[in-house]
Order: sequence, then C-alpha cells, then structure tokens
Amino acid sequence: MTSFASTFTYLTKRRGGLLTVIALIFVLVVFGMIVSDKFGTSSNAINILEQSTALALVSLGQTLVIITGGIDLSVGSMVSLASVLLSGIANGDPTMMWVALITIMAVGVLVGLINAGASIYLGVHPLIITLGTGAILQGITLLYTQTPIGKMPKGFDELAYGRILGLPIGAVFTIAAFVLTAIFLRKVPLGRYIYATGDDAMGAQLMGLPRKKVLFVAYGFCGLMASVAAIFLVARLGAGQPYTGQNFTLTSITPVVVGGTLLSGGRGGVIGTLMGVYLVSLLNNLLNFLDLSSHYQLIIQGLIVIIAVSVYVENKKRV
Amino acid sequence: MTQSAQSPEHAPQRLTMDAVRSYGIHLVLLALIVVTGILSPAFLAGNNISNMLLQAAPLGIVVIGQVLVILVRGLDLSVASVMATAAVVATSFSGQDSDAFPVFLVAMAVGLLTGLVNGLLITKRNVSPFLATLATMTLLQGLRFAYTQGAPSGNVPPIYRVLGSQTFYGVPYNLMVLIVLAAVFSVLLNKSTYGRRVYLTGGNPVMARLVGINADRITIASYVISGGLAAMAGLIYSGFVGIVDNWVGRGFELDSIVAAVMGGVALSGGRGSIVGGLLGAAILVVVFNAVLMLGMPIEFQIIIKGVVIIAAAAVYVRKAA
Repeated sequence: MTSFASTFTYLTKRRGGLLTVIALIFVLVVFGMIVSDKFGTSSNAINILEQSTALALVSLGQTLVIITGGIDLSVGSMVSLASVLLSGIANGDPTMMWVALITIMAVGVLVGLINAGASIYLGVHPLIITLGTGAILQGITLLYTQTPIGKMPKGFDELAYGRILGLPIGAVFTIAAFVLTAIFLRKVPLGRYIYATGDDAMGAQLMGLPRKKVLFVAYGFCGLMASVAAIFLVARLGAGQPYTGQNFTLTSITPVVVGGTLLSGGRGGVIGTLMGVYLVSLLNNLLNFLDLSSHYQLIIQGLIVIIAVSVYVENKKRV
Repeated sequence: MTQSAQSPEHAPQRLTMDAVRSYGIHLVLLALIVVTGILSPAFLAGNNISNMLLQAAPLGIVVIGQVLVILVRGLDLSVASVMATAAVVATSFSGQDSDAFPVFLVAMAVGLLTGLVNGLLITKRNVSPFLATLATMTLLQGLRFAYTQGAPSGNVPPIYRVLGSQTFYGVPYNLMVLIVLAAVFSVLLNKSTYGRRVYLTGGNPVMARLVGINADRITIASYVISGGLAAMAGLIYSGFVGIVDNWVGRGFELDSIVAAVMGGVALSGGRGSIVGGLLGAAILVVVFNAVLMLGMPIEFQIIIKGVVIIAAAAVYVRKAA
C-alpha cells in the first residue's frame, strides 16, 4: 500500500514538473509569435529542431548517467575527439566513411566503459574520473589536430539537411532514440535497475542487482551518444573541429536538470530531458529574434538552472 | 577505551601509514623537481623557479578557498568566472593607481556576493554544489559578456601590474600575498572555533547538528570566503597577464579542485588541509613547467593533468579505506 502511494506521488510529481516545462515552452512560443511574425513559421521550427539534435543526443546519454547518481564531464571532449576522427579518417572517401563511423562509435563506447570501470574499480567519484578522462581526450584530440581536419564524402550533409516526412532526419532520429530509451527505462528490468542503483546504491546491491553492469551500460551509452551527436554535428559543419564539443560538457547537464532529473540520482527521465532541450533551444532562438546578443543567453541559462533546481529540490524534500 | 588499549600493537604500522599519508605528496613534489632538474638543468635556474612561483600564486590563492569549500562537502566551479569578472572590473576604471582601491572594493563585492548566492542556494535550497556554482558561473559569465560586449578594454592599475608580475629580489610579490593568506586561513582553520566547526560540519554533519553547530552558516561562510579569494586572485592575475579578456583564469576552477584532491583534501568532506592543497597546486605548476622544459608538445600538459587527477584520487581512496 505504501509502495503504491509512493509510486503515485512520484509519478504525479514528475508529471507535474514535466507539465511545467511544457507550459513554459507553450508560453515561449506564444510570446515569440507576438514578438516576431517569422518566429511562428515552420521553417523556423525546423531550424530549431535541426540545431537541437546534437545537444539532445548528448543530453540523452547524460540523463542515464545522472539517474545512476553519477555525472559525465568527458562528453564534451568525446564529441570533439569523435568529430575530428570522423572527418579525419573519412577524408572525403565514401569507402572509408563506414570505417570512420564504426571507429568513432567504438571509441565512444570504449571511453564510457573506461569511465565506468575506473569509477567502480578505483572507487573514485565519477566527477573526478570523467574530469580526468575529459582532459586526456581533449589532449589526444589536440595532438591529433589543432585545426579543422578532413572532409566528409559528398552527400553526407544529407544527414543534416535531409527530410523525413518534412522533418529533419536528425530530429526524427532524436525523437526515436528518446522514445526507445524511455521504453527501455520503464519496461526492461535493466532499465529499472538504473533507477534503483541511483536511488539507493547500497540497497540495490544488497538486493543483488547488477550494479557494475548498470554503470557500464549507462556510461557506455553516454559515450556512444556523444559520438552519434558528433556525426550530426560534422554533417552540419562539414568537417571536424578540435573544440567543437567544448561547450557540451556543461550545456548537456542543463536540459537534464530542467527536465526534472535530480543530480542525486534515482529520479527523472529522458522525456523530461527532451522537453528541457527544446525549451533551451527555443529560448536561444527566441533571444536571437529579439536581437539580444548571445551574451544574454548565458544569463538566462544560468537563471533557468537556478530556478529549475530550486523547484525540483523542493519537491523531493516534500516527498 | 578499547582503541587506546589496542594502539601499542598497531603503533608501528600506523606510524608508517601516517607518514605516507602526511609526507607522500612532499615526496612526489621532491621527486618531480629532482628528476626534471636532472633531465633539464635550466628547470632549476633561478629565473625559472621565480617564474613558476609567479604562476603558482594566483592558483594557490584560489586553492585556499576551494579547500575550505571542499572541507564542507562542497565544490566551487564559479571561481574562474569570479576571477575573470574581477579582472574585467580592474580595467573598468581609469586605469590609474588612484582607482586601485575602488577596483578592489567592487571586485571583492562581486566575489563575496557570488559566494553568498552559492552558499544560500546550497544550504537553504538544498541545491547540489556542482549545479549551484555552475549556475552562478554561467550567470556571471553572461553578465560579464553583456557588460563588455565581448571585448573588454582599458588598463589594469599599475600597482596590480607590480603585484601580479614583479619580484622583490627574486621573490614575487604575489607569492607574498599568497603566503600571508595561507598563513591566516591555516591558523583560522586549525586554531579557531570556526575551523573546528568546518571540519565537523564536513566530516559528520549529523554530529555537527547535534552539538548545536549552525552548519548552514559555516557552509555559507566557506563559499563567501572562496568567492572573495577568487576575486583577489583575479585582480592579481589580471596584473600578471596584463591584457584582460573575458576568460582570465579559465581552467582555474578545475585546476584548483585537482590541486586540492592531489593534496589529500577528501571530496567527501572533513579531511585535508590548506598546506596540502597548496602542495597540490605546486605539483600542477611543476608538471606544466616540466612539460615545456623537457620539450614535449604542450598538449601533454592536458593529458598528464588528466592522468594525475585520476591517479591521485585513487591513491587517497586506497588510503582512506
């Protein structure tokens, strides 16, 4: 009975947070349409979707890691490394493109597994581990190249500018990835264990849940998503750049938190993150329309994080 | 009681463990200096040492604050942003020495206020230190950019140039500032009621509450001090680099955390010292300098830093276990 009650409270709280984010998105859209008649056009909507793809994918991986109670500060460097490796290896050759794609996805997973393994077997907090691996990856990236490198085969930009049913390919892929991950988190036992591990690591271990496996899966997935995000970035930019990913480390955490996933672990979900990504992208887009320089985007982003964390933390305390 | 009865048997072993724990970092630093000195004699030349100390001082000042914050189970990511903002403040006045004091006041106000906001968010709103200081970092960055419109201009008052980049018979002025600050805060931490409360709040919050310590106030004080010290470091560093941009002190937030962790300050709170943190900072500066002196590509600085972070943290976890 108690467990039913707590599940009920848990769901309403989470849905409540999600509703707030969706309501905010709605308010922003209405406001934008009042401010500028170009804001409400479908081409602008597609533009926003296109621009949010990479952030959404990195945040998706970050969400799983944060639900386990960890954090991944190496994602930014991973995106940089993957993007220079991708265009550096492919270098305009269509036959090498597949080699490059498989290589960077393998590297992404490997880096994630190393993060998880180091955290488990050295007993060091993932914050420190991923800070370290992030520095190492950035160093390797700069050793590999200090300037934009290579180019993608002809037609690769189709990935960025192509359409499925009128929507950007990246956006369709993103939504599919989020929905599949959401189903995995809810329906597959391993997905449930991710929550259990993050909520109470000791309890989960005592119940015999596979804590190590959970961490390997979460961090491996996070690394993979960083590489996939790099694929879409390179498709848009045409070539990999050694500092492409720099901002993703911290900006990937904002949508996760705004979407209601707690940094302390065990709570939240990926759909909230997707809404968080759209909220942030919409806001940045709107600020462009208002002719406010990008400087103000940082101020607003800082304020959003402060407001969001204050609201959600209050919720957890009450529960 | 039982513990004191057992202690004679375990005394020798405990003594060696204590020795490793207390002097391990000294040995690492010494080994680094000796090995680099042998491989590259120029490393030990007077002006190179003077140069390293000049670079170490601003980091050291930030580390003092970072140690205080980590001792209460916190983390301050906003220090670099405070530094840069203080540096921008330094160039926003006439650039004459007559404005040195107003610059100091405004910069300190920025630092202390940022620390206060961090502390309040963390204690009163129960926000994780990582997020709270990340948010103030971003906010401050945005405010700075909006204020400077992307490109700060103006001059740093000459007295800050002297403080940040000149030496007194080979001893940098900024090192003197660091030594004074380190001494003051070490005494405060080891001898004052505040210091003991910091250790208890971080080491055992439940106990701290039971003995009637206002843990919130202690935590807030640590963040306020950290903000203030970061502002001071920013002013001194602006004098070191001479030309101020929006990114003065970039990387100091992570370097200061790394230095503290290497110096044996436990991220779980309640353990560590300012001297340890400063030794950690010294190791970082020596490693960076050694990479240059040994003619390695500069990217190795970043890679070695990453390896060192993980290795140091792993070593201390082993010792604590």
